[in-house]
Amino acid sequence: MSSPMPFSIPGDKVKYFYNRVGFGIPFRGPKSKNTSSLQNEWGNTSSKPQLLSSVEKPVAKEHPAPEKFKEALQKSRQDLMKLNLAWMEQMRTTVSPLQEKMTLFWHDHFSCRTRIPYLAQQQNNTLRIFGFGKFEELLMAVSKDPAMLQFLNNQQNKKGSPNENFAREVMELFTLGRGNYSEHDIREAARAFTGWGFNGGGEFQFHSRQHDEEEKSFRGKTGNFSGEDILHLIIEDPKTAHFITKKIVRYFVSQEDVNPELVESLSASFFQSGYDVEGLLHQIFSSDWFYETRYAGNRIKSPTELLLSIQNHTGGKFENAQSLIFFQRAFGQLLFFPPNVGGWPKGQGWIDSSSLLLRMSLPQMIFHRQENGFEAKDDGDVNSINESFHGKRNLSLVVDWENIARSFSRSANETVELAEAFLLARPTTKVNRELITSMASKSTDDTEFVKKVFTGFMSLPEYQLC
Amino acid sequence: MMNLSRRDFLKTSLLATTGSMLVPRFLKAWENPIQRGSDRILIVLQLSGGNDGLNTVVPYHNDLYYKWRPKLALPPDKIIKLSDELALNNALEKLHLLYDRGHVGIFNNVGYPNPDRSHFRSMDIWQSASGSAEYVNTGWIGRYLDSQCDGCGAHSAIEIDDTLSLALKGASVKGMAVKDPAKLYRAAQAPFFKTLSSDFSLVHPEENVAYLYKTLAETVSNSDYIYSKSKVYQTKTEYPDTDFGKRLKTIGELIGSGVNTRVYYAALSGFDTHVRQSGTQERQLKTFADAVYALVTDLESTNNFERVVIMTFSEFGRRVSENASGGTDHGTANNLFLIGKKISAGILNETPNLQDLDNNDLIFQIDFRSIYATLLRKWLSVDEENIVNGKFPVLDFI
Repeated sequence: MSSPMPFSIPGDKVKYFYNRVGFGIPFRGPKSKNTSSLQNEWGNTSSKPQLLSSVEKPVAKEHPAPEKFKEALQKSRQDLMKLNLAWMEQMRTTVSPLQEKMTLFWHDHFSCRTRIPYLAQQQNNTLRIFGFGKFEELLMAVSKDPAMLQFLNNQQNKKGSPNENFAREVMELFTLGRGNYSEHDIREAARAFTGWGFNGGGEFQFHSRQHDEEEKSFRGKTGNFSGEDILHLIIEDPKTAHFITKKIVRYFVSQEDVNPELVESLSASFFQSGYDVEGLLHQIFSSDWFYETRYAGNRIKSPTELLLSIQNHTGGKFENAQSLIFFQRAFGQLLFFPPNVGGWPKGQGWIDSSSLLLRMSLPQMIFHRQENGFEAKDDGDVNSINESFHGKRNLSLVVDWENIARSFSRSANETVELAEAFLLARPTTKVNRELITSMASKSTDDTEFVKKVFTGFMSLPEYQLC
Repeated sequence: MMNLSRRDFLKTSLLATTGSMLVPRFLKAWENPIQRGSDRILIVLQLSGGNDGLNTVVPYHNDLYYKWRPKLALPPDKIIKLSDELALNNALEKLHLLYDRGHVGIFNNVGYPNPDRSHFRSMDIWQSASGSAEYVNTGWIGRYLDSQCDGCGAHSAIEIDDTLSLALKGASVKGMAVKDPAKLYRAAQAPFFKTLSSDFSLVHPEENVAYLYKTLAETVSNSDYIYSKSKVYQTKTEYPDTDFGKRLKTIGELIGSGVNTRVYYAALSGFDTHVRQSGTQERQLKTFADAVYALVTDLESTNNFERVVIMTFSEFGRRVSENASGGTDHGTANNLFLIGKKISAGILNETPNLQDLDNNDLIFQIDFRSIYATLLRKWLSVDEENIVNGKFPVLDFI
């Protein structure tokens, strides 16, 4: 570890930028003192996708013999967890937090599950490659993505016996939003997507013999539409721009407090730009309203964000990476396993009495090995072999507290103030500050003091917010 | 360097903050019960993984059963006959005792249109009480709380677990996960949390931070209520020494203690029997039936059984035909048990039709939301339509 620099509190705007566009300020300090250079830097790196590669492409597809089937499923499950951890690690160490944050957004938006690890990885990389460009290209790529086609049953969508699942979700959840299309539109769109499938090599394949070549009428237009035509028609409707813009604004700014006029004007220019995602993000991050103080500290961190912020803020790393799987399950956000195609909960949906208590106990569990025997739910699937721990589990986050203590070396009051400004998006109450100080004051040395101060602030309800 | 001022802080602040730890009066309001349905209780038991219904309630008189299941069909010495058509798996011996006393009702062929064979998706559908093409992020018990729980506590619906299922999450009110009241009490009453929850008048009421503090304060208050109440009654009934047995014991003790909870929820997993089902399923069914029997015995001993209805379900049944690994794969419609003194007992509808199948799967006859609707309307005395999201026939099993 490098020699400690005396820590200085970054400006509020920089902190906010890190919280919202990334996953919290890393302990090593912000890379820049102003948001526009951060935005440039993160913007530049985002256009160079950093792909995930922990899963190797399987060689020639062979069906395992029945007695090896269980073993094969367990291997898949393990590879999915390996992929999950590779992504968690990339989010922790990335030079482009924005790319990860946006990939996480699309991972939730184009919510999908697959048992095939290579397809899961391929889809995640598709989100990285197209996630900052034109939304139509992203939509097209995801719609032809094998994991999605499989998840939404488009392999079963054939001329004469259409399966409407894919057509329905494309409109309801990925583009137009509920209420902007009819059941008739779904039936007709499903016909246009007939024959969209994939081959054993995990590549899109158009089965022309299964495709319905008859005329379709879709949202007032008639023609022999292909699947591509349908997606294009959907993109031509500004309601799609509005749906995507609103969701992006809610993700980065506030679930609850959304200014409709603002969304209206952003979505108009998003539409004008031909759905340029990067342009939309740039417009948001360079605006003044984005940094309005009322937003800071009023957004509930998703479990992924909570786990990353605690690692970033301390520069710590889990001794046993499996802990990250355990906590993702316990908090209810296991990456690559969204609850349904609608994606994960949002905002207050993350919080109930047990999840809050566990989230607030997290620092005690990982810094002080205070085990509480908590168990995550099992999902009923025999193949999701126990991802919990056998015997004594090790949930420790390894943190160089001496280094942090040196960097935060001040008088007690100043250390507390500094830690608070660093860790919390918005100050807590005087009473809480005093409570934390008094608890930390029982320490025997500076390192322990700092550790207790960090533990205290990170155990507050305020730490659940960014 | 740090020590001096730290000690100062200790003197000036610690006692000052911990001294004001009285729970504010309005928090006490959270201990109010739900009024509708007087003191009735619903217990929902979830069999996770997709229990094989055909080897649970066995159509032993049907030749097709033996034809589809050359290896897995239960022989005469492994079943307990209920009627000319149906029998229980031997492992459900204890459930049969309750059946004989007229406390068990069985519905066959319960499911929903366009069934989904994925565990997580079908469980999502059952827990949210939605159609298979809808995505709803609240649960049916959660919506019951939303409609009834004005000023009452999260403990009005308790799941015996460490985490809360979607079923118990409403839009504005969420139930509470409690695996062990004493453990929850110790966790929630940690001085740090208790102090934090004692005063949050300074945070802005409109903001998320207030929502978090409110949830925390409610947790502290409810865990205290549940724990102090739970000490009132300790059961003398012997429950099986299984994890599920312990969970039902917790339910029995909370009810015996007079906690004003209206809905309890607990799950038993291990029913995903793709391989070597025989033996595995019996072990799970026995775990289930033995624990339920103990719970009923306990409830009878405290005179609470008549205010309780137990409903069991699984996210789907399994294929009619066995697979090549001595197991069964994911299927569709399934049977469901209702247990109580005030329900219609016996076999409540037609036996499964093994002739007319849909892709080798049973075709459902009763939408599970009709069962929910009936329990809500006739047992919990609430208007069910907004809770199950639609009109589903209310049945007459209560």
